[in-house]
Amino acid sequence: MLWLYLHFPHLLLDHIRRSRDNAGALVIVEGSGQKVIQACPEARDQGIRAGVRLKTAISLVPDLGIVRADHKQEARILADQALWLYRYAAHIVLVPPDGVLAEVGSLQRLYGGLPAAWQTVEHALNDRQLTAWMAIGHTPLAARLLARSGKGECTADQGHILRSLGQMPLLAAGFDERTCTRLQRLGLNTLGEVFDLPPAELARRLSPETLARIQKIQGTRADPQIPWQPPHHFRQQADFVQEIEHAQGLLFPLQRMLGELEEDLCWRQQDTDSLLLVLHHRHQEPARLRIRTSGPEHRAEAFLNLLRLRFEQQPLQAPVIALVLSVRRFIDREAPSGQDLLGETRDLNEAWHTLVSRLQARLGAQALRRLSPQADHRPERAWSATEVDRQTRPARTDLQQLPRRPLWLLQGPQPLTEAPRAWFAGPERVSGGWWDGQRVQRDYYIAQLHSGQLAWVFRDVRDGWFVHGWFG
Amino acid sequence: MSELLNTLMQDARVWQGHRPIQTSQPAEPTGYQVLDNQFGGIGWPRGALSECLLDAPGIGELHLLLPLMQRLTRAGKTVFWLNPPHIPYAPALAREGVDLDQVILIHTRGEGDFLWTLENCLRSPVTGLVMAWPDKLAAREVRRLQLAAEAGSNVCVLFRERRYAEQNSPAALRLELEPGDHQDLKIHVLKRRGSWSGQRCALAMAQRADLAFREAPRVVHGPWAGSRR
Repeated sequence: MLWLYLHFPHLLLDHIRRSRDNAGALVIVEGSGQKVIQACPEARDQGIRAGVRLKTAISLVPDLGIVRADHKQEARILADQALWLYRYAAHIVLVPPDGVLAEVGSLQRLYGGLPAAWQTVEHALNDRQLTAWMAIGHTPLAARLLARSGKGECTADQGHILRSLGQMPLLAAGFDERTCTRLQRLGLNTLGEVFDLPPAELARRLSPETLARIQKIQGTRADPQIPWQPPHHFRQQADFVQEIEHAQGLLFPLQRMLGELEEDLCWRQQDTDSLLLVLHHRHQEPARLRIRTSGPEHRAEAFLNLLRLRFEQQPLQAPVIALVLSVRRFIDREAPSGQDLLGETRDLNEAWHTLVSRLQARLGAQALRRLSPQADHRPERAWSATEVDRQTRPARTDLQQLPRRPLWLLQGPQPLTEAPRAWFAGPERVSGGWWDGQRVQRDYYIAQLHSGQLAWVFRDVRDGWFVHGWFG
Repeated sequence: MSELLNTLMQDARVWQGHRPIQTSQPAEPTGYQVLDNQFGGIGWPRGALSECLLDAPGIGELHLLLPLMQRLTRAGKTVFWLNPPHIPYAPALAREGVDLDQVILIHTRGEGDFLWTLENCLRSPVTGLVMAWPDKLAAREVRRLQLAAEAGSNVCVLFRERRYAEQNSPAALRLELEPGDHQDLKIHVLKRRGSWSGQRCALAMAQRADLAFREAPRVVHGPWAGSRR
């Protein structure tokens, strides 16, 4: 087995930098907020080094972007990296706080050799604007040590790997402090010198744990790893240094996130019809925006257009400090049927969904409705309006047997104010609703008013006269 | 003649009084003999606005469009009803053979939303017919809609009040609708692009309440006091 280790020296910094469209100096400070632990190139150009005090940094660069390190956030970002790496390698192990391990020995044939696999990952890192130190080792620990020291090479030669490890100073080998001191007191300075010691002596003089670690590095003791499993849903988060006050500013990071969603959906070979966008504010409850498309969709462009419309309708409630995009509902892509190959139907289908999604995004899902007849004798209940969705309803066959009804139905019956000019048909008695308390007993007539309108009028049990519809 | 002039003539952009030309403007047949066969064929122009001007609903204005609705929905085109004044009654539409899966009812709140929605519907290739009931439209807005209608190739009918008949409008077809004496619909052609206007005709619309084949009223028992008709 060969292991590829990716060490992200400043993952949090990369994560935040790629969500902003202006390139200002940015630093990450430790949890207590005293010391700078990571600085971006712009900050380094202006003299800020990792390890300087925050006060010094601010006096060097007054408009410094400052982010406080947060372990939970770092763990989440690390898991995001595993997500895309999973497309290239099947066996992935997360090594918190800043590393990802992937088994590459089995991938050599797929990519056509180890260098090709190495390059593929390097390209993916560049695409995502991430900095990572890579190394290949014959054991997980060997790969990790090499990557962290920055001496990683693309080689499968075990002897070469062990030689590189041997030259490594003890301090870089990741022993705990006590062991390190004891080894140094024995006069050992490099890892190679420790490798040369007889194992039995090592266990007796130091501790069995130290021996276990050394054997795990060398590969003479098993080092089982728990493989990472990709989550079933999609989730992406962008964190902002400066609060974003206008929806326009959100579109830039959203473009990248939706691009990744599109890529993810393509890999899954699935579509989705609802996105959940959670906008975190500093002092308020997070705002939740649900974006629905009327049909399965995977294109970032289409989602972005809908979001743009939505933001036009709903301005931001408060400045946004973080943005989470998640998708939990996936729909399998439908294989194109024979009819679609002729070209037209699919385009029209897509155009229909685009139009309806656009309208729904701006007007609200409630504004668009579809009508259908219902089986009820009461005219106001003989129809229903439902939201427009993609399901086509089963066709009813008995439509011709429906009674003659006017094309316009009034919202509610209106009192009849004049005596009609002519009577045509009636009465048609409608009596029902005793079963649900909405009792109706009416005699319906067709009559023409003096204005020439053909009306559907009724008389109720109390002898009141009402217009209920127009024969439009 | 230059090409530009030719196009102008053919699209009937320039009105020529002495020569009523057969326009190359595509139109949907109305489904009514009188309108389709006389006066050189008045159809619902595609890719242009039409206006129906009437005072009150219930005079047969929807039946005028019903043959078109039936044909378009069966062909899989979508029919939009934008801000109708009353509820389009589903059982009646279904009975008339309109495929309700293709009918979408839209209610908008603001004036801006109305124009935006109408424009979007008009530009989409899935739309067959848009019927819209605007509150009030400035001439500039009608012009904007006319341009949107030209971008697509579907029929758009605006229902407006009759008092707008005096106003000029960029719509390609303007019909003034009035109820007749025998439950029929009197149509007055106010404007036709590229041809003479001013024709009047009446369409029998009594079938909309099943009155066609019965000369005598079918009232079984008069509900009113006094004289029975």
